[in-house]
Amino acid sequence: MASERLIERKRVFHQYKEDVKERGKPFYPFAMLHDTIMSLVVVSVITGLAIVWKYTTPGDHHTIDPGWLGRLYDAPADPGTINFVPRPDWYFYFLFYLLRIFKWPETVVIGTVGLPTVLLIILLAIPFIDVRPERRLLRRPVAIVASILVVISMGVLTYKGATAKEALGSEIVGHVPSWAAKEGFTGNKQAIAGAKIFAVAGCLNCHTYLGDGGTNLGAPDLSAEGAKNKGIAFQIAHLKCPACVNSGSPMPSFAGLGDARLKQIAAFLEASKGPKK
Amino acid sequence: MATQKLTPKEQVQEAILYPIDWLEERSGLVGGIKYFLFRRVPGDINWFQTLGSATLTAFIVQALTGSILAMYYKPDPQNAYSSIQHITNDVFAGWLVRGMHRWGASVFIILMFMHMGRVFLFGAYKYPRELNWIIGVLLLTMGLAEGFTGYLLPWDQTAYWATVVGINLNGTAPFLGPFISQFLQGGTYIDDGTIARFYAIHMLMIPGAIIALIVLHLYLVIRLGVTSPPWSKEAAGTGSMLKPSRNGRRGLTRPGPRRKG
Ligand code: HEC
Ligand code: HEM
Repeated sequence: MASERLIERKRVFHQYKEDVKERGKPFYPFAMLHDTIMSLVVVSVITGLAIVWKYTTPGDHHTIDPGWLGRLYDAPADPGTINFVPRPDWYFYFLFYLLRIFKWPETVVIGTVGLPTVLLIILLAIPFIDVRPERRLLRRPVAIVASILVVISMGVLTYKGATAKEALGSEIVGHVPSWAAKEGFTGNKQAIAGAKIFAVAGCLNCHTYLGDGGTNLGAPDLSAEGAKNKGIAFQIAHLKCPACVNSGSPMPSFAGLGDARLKQIAAFLEASKGPKK
Repeated sequence: MATQKLTPKEQVQEAILYPIDWLEERSGLVGGIKYFLFRRVPGDINWFQTLGSATLTAFIVQALTGSILAMYYKPDPQNAYSSIQHITNDVFAGWLVRGMHRWGASVFIILMFMHMGRVFLFGAYKYPRELNWIIGVLLLTMGLAEGFTGYLLPWDQTAYWATVVGINLNGTAPFLGPFISQFLQGGTYIDDGTIARFYAIHMLMIPGAIIALIVLHLYLVIRLGVTSPPWSKEAAGTGSMLKPSRNGRRGLTRPGPRRKG
């Protein structure tokens, strides 16, 4: 009966207090010694990381090799260009990678809001789901399996997020002629210029185009964007403020590229009617 | 009334004790500290149970290095990047303070997860410590939010674009999403307003909340006591021990001979 359980757990806690009073050890100096040693280790590790960072970094953003722990700082923020995967700090990699699994717009909300909320609620609810007094691990099989699964999946997602391929603009620009041939816009100067900007502006970190680039945040493949016939004006408006025309869009604004370049990108998008077979 | 003459030794003792007594009489603090230090903890607690105080240490490192950074950092888009360069390259030991803050953040978050893992594996979230687990989960989310808001501040490309995407993701949430995005950005776009907001949230609002939550957390730890390792044969709460330990030197500090129990 539930009330018996409640009485029993009160009794056990009472016993705990008694036991600690009778045969516990004083916090100082015993436990405190360990805490102090551990804290010293923590401070040394942090200091060590700072020193390693400083002395193994190649300097600033002009070198390609980031050193062991990364650059001291990147190029200054420039709202006009994005030339690498927008990457959060490592402890968000798992969320970030999770987002690749979901496709815009049907399910991306599940990844961005649904999962984190569910995880948070589960975490908060743990003490109320698992109300048995049993604390010995071998007698808590569900807890063991759940924690192993969580550790493995977090580990895998973090690793995947860390090694996610970055689309290197400089390499992809070389593909523009072959894009033009496949999509049949070789004669269209505006579209070719737009394709070159498209290749280096960071679009391919979220979008794919004829197999180049990588999916992120559920962004759609753009190889046949022109087949939707949305029109140049729509494309420019969307690039300037994605969320204004496609409500809730997580795509960043590219207004910083300037009207002339946006027009070229729009021409390229509209010329991309899908690969000709 | 003839006052006794004090020996020099007694005079020294008096001089030392006087301010302590003074403080105790007016605040009760000395008694509180004594209670904290000499309260009993289970004799079998082990190294995994130092992860909580290790997390606290990491937080203190963040608070101290962050305060120093705040003396040189300029939270606006024109100066943020150059103030970071200035801290890294010119300020005396600036690189060390910034490096410690930057890497300390990762260490803090790792430790929080490890501490949570130990609490989970020890089953230490069970009655009567449910509330402290909840406070812990709140601390975890606050810690992650610190990471998110701090990431923008160097105002370099990585920082800027990760935040653009992060804020946009927030905006996809139903109902509240767009409002949260607008609030974070301080407008419809990321600009001067955004960096100031992130800075205020990062260095005032969340740290304030974290400190308050840590105080509550530790109050509950002291009030309820920490759990014995679940595998311990002498676990407090089972009443299975026969002889009390007289000097407290048992468990990890100085494992005494195992008594059969
Ligand atoms: C951070 C990720 C990201 C980046 C970078 C990005 N996009 Fe997007 N893009 C998205 C997402 C998500 C969608 C789906 C939501 C929407 O339609 O706005 C999208 C949609 C689109 C669409 C489809 C719009 C429609 O309604 O048909 C086009 C075209 C597009 N992006 C072009 C671009 C171009 C060009 C660039 C580079 C200048 C770019 N994107 C950069 C994430 C991104
Ligand atoms: C800022 C972050 C945190 C700090 C500074 C902190 C600090 C501490 C300290 C010093 C203890 C004493 C025992 C020990 O060290 O294990 C403790 C215990 C505890 N912590 Fe935390 N903690 C933090 C985060 C968390 C998190 C994220 C959780 C879980 C979600 C959590 C849940 C608990 C519980 C349930 C106890 C009681 C354990 C027991 O009685 O054995 N804490 N915490």
